Amino acid sequence: MTSEQRRRVAALFEVAFELSPGDAARLLAAEAADDAAVREEVLSLLASHSRAGEFLQYPIADAVPQLLDDDPAITPGTVVGTYTIGRELGRGGMGRVYFATDARLGRTVALKALAPHLVRDPAQRERLRREARAAASLSHPGVCTVYALEEIDGDLYIASELVDGHTLRDEIASGRRHARDVLPTARELAAALAAAHAAGVVHRDLKPENVMRTRDGHVKVLDFGLARIDVVRPGADALAGRVPVTHDGIVVGTPAYMAPEQIEGGAVDRRTDVFAFGVLIYEFASGVHPFAGISPLATVARVLEHDPQPLGPRCPDMPAGVSEVVARCLQKRPSDRFGSAAEIVGALHSAVDAGAAGDHTTWWRTHQVIVSMVYVASAILAWQIKEWVETPLTVALFVALGGLATVGAVLRGHLVFTERMNRPHLAGERRRTGRPMLVIDFLIAALLLADAIVTAGVRALPAVSAVSVAVGVLLAAVVLEPATTRAAFGDEA
Amino acid sequence: MRTWSATGFMSSQPPPAEELAPLVYDELRRIAAHYIRGERPGQTLQATALVHEAYLRLANAGAPWHDKRHFVGIAARSMRQILVERARARGAQKRWAGLDRVTLTDALALAAPDAAMLPALDEALTRLEAIDPQQARLVELRYFAGLSIEEAADALAISPATLKRRWALARAWLFRELSEPASS
Repeated sequence: MTSEQRRRVAALFEVAFELSPGDAARLLAAEAADDAAVREEVLSLLASHSRAGEFLQYPIADAVPQLLDDDPAITPGTVVGTYTIGRELGRGGMGRVYFATDARLGRTVALKALAPHLVRDPAQRERLRREARAAASLSHPGVCTVYALEEIDGDLYIASELVDGHTLRDEIASGRRHARDVLPTARELAAALAAAHAAGVVHRDLKPENVMRTRDGHVKVLDFGLARIDVVRPGADALAGRVPVTHDGIVVGTPAYMAPEQIEGGAVDRRTDVFAFGVLIYEFASGVHPFAGISPLATVARVLEHDPQPLGPRCPDMPAGVSEVVARCLQKRPSDRFGSAAEIVGALHSAVDAGAAGDHTTWWRTHQVIVSMVYVASAILAWQIKEWVETPLTVALFVALGGLATVGAVLRGHLVFTERMNRPHLAGERRRTGRPMLVIDFLIAALLLADAIVTAGVRALPAVSAVSVAVGVLLAAVVLEPATTRAAFGDEA
Repeated sequence: MRTWSATGFMSSQPPPAEELAPLVYDELRRIAAHYIRGERPGQTLQATALVHEAYLRLANAGAPWHDKRHFVGIAARSMRQILVERARARGAQKRWAGLDRVTLTDALALAAPDAAMLPALDEALTRLEAIDPQQARLVELRYFAGLSIEEAADALAISPATLKRRWALARAWLFRELSEPASS
């Protein structure tokens, strides 16, 4: 058929398909009387059109979930290599997981059948082998042990320890968590991550679905280093117009637990796990995802752009230090987070110590309040001295003391307020105000001593009072404050 | 839109389509991941929204394309590639070949075996492209990207009425190709 004939066919069809068969036949007879091939082709197309029903009427995308889900399940009882497949335990991004019995060792395992499209590329296969070896080298009670990567009839399977229990996702969804579970869970999880990080393995896809709680109440992390196949940037193949299967990363991803650098396709390292740890603990502690948005895309946008609400106010029963640890894990810039899970372990440790010493913040608060009252007392004393011995010097001393006392009392009040209302920022505020307050205390003491010297020749009592208040302020600043601070927060900043 | 500026998308000269395709593909894949593995039931994005989101994301990135239509076309083609590759990887051809003639025609008309049909549809589309590239684009936009008549017409710069007629022709032609492969 020539292109001229095709053009005629198209033109005729586009008119005829809306006509009744009789009208269409008349149209063809009138317009294409000279060309039987054109008439025949139009009639054939019209016949197809009338039979086509819903063909292509609904976008394929509507069927996509089903399309991607038709990864065929293995029937229970099937023997794969030395494994006898049992019931399906679940499915992850990379394939289905089955209960299976290994005939060689007579043990039961969890066998993950990797979806064929993920492992067709030899380079991808090699990477999986490497990562399975790394994961298999991990031995930690908090890490689900990988036994073997099996290649059976061209398919890949990962055999790993069968963990009896439920996932943290189940606990979050059912609300079965308790405030007292948060800290032990966070510590065990951080310890498991730290062990992996020490062995050079990064999880890359830490999320509540990948953390199991065993029957005896401990946590175990699944899928170390094997949960996510990073998609290789399309190279020469894609430029030639072919999209290699290995680039088909549709199943990849749990965007809600991805760190900003991961979303943006940047380098992934231990600090990426640190971020996911923060999201997970936040969600576990509060039941609310820190970046929850109305749609997954909105969540991704929030991960990139928004700071989450502090965890502390959402979980008043939790040791305050924990929410500070979580807040630091959730920093956008990897360099602002903990460098690895080992550092989280350390920070949680201090948080617990501080938490156990929880009542000691009362001493610290009392100290702040009393010192503020002493400030006021010293200002009153300076005023009284000015009344008794009115010279330009005593007036100046009173004015200076009044000003310093006000500034000092405001700063201490600010600290107490921060400690009560905005705990995550307290450490920073204490650092910021520490030196100025020490200077204020020294100045107040010095001015009081000056007042004492001025009044010494006139009245003994105010002079002695001024000296004792000055000594009190000095001692409080140098001896008492570091002690109450250390008791409350474990540092002297 | 730092993702895109980071990959050089904000340059004043739009990069050639061959370079764009993989990047758009990346974007689509990322977005596709959301609705396919959505964490919570009920939060799955509709497939149409998928392409729209990708489109809007890129269109709002400071219009790095001279032509938004260009991008819609790339997005639709990427969807076709993604889905066809996936169907191939799942052994769709075998299932497709297993259907007998009668069931095949019925199944096509019922739009039942979407996944199994994809590789065959892809090949037929490639043949259609050789005859009439615009019709192949049209099928990509309507079927793979899920655009409405109006949106697809806009992307192809033709009127909706014209598009409806071309769409009818493309469907009839492809239906014949798929239901009577021997005659093609």
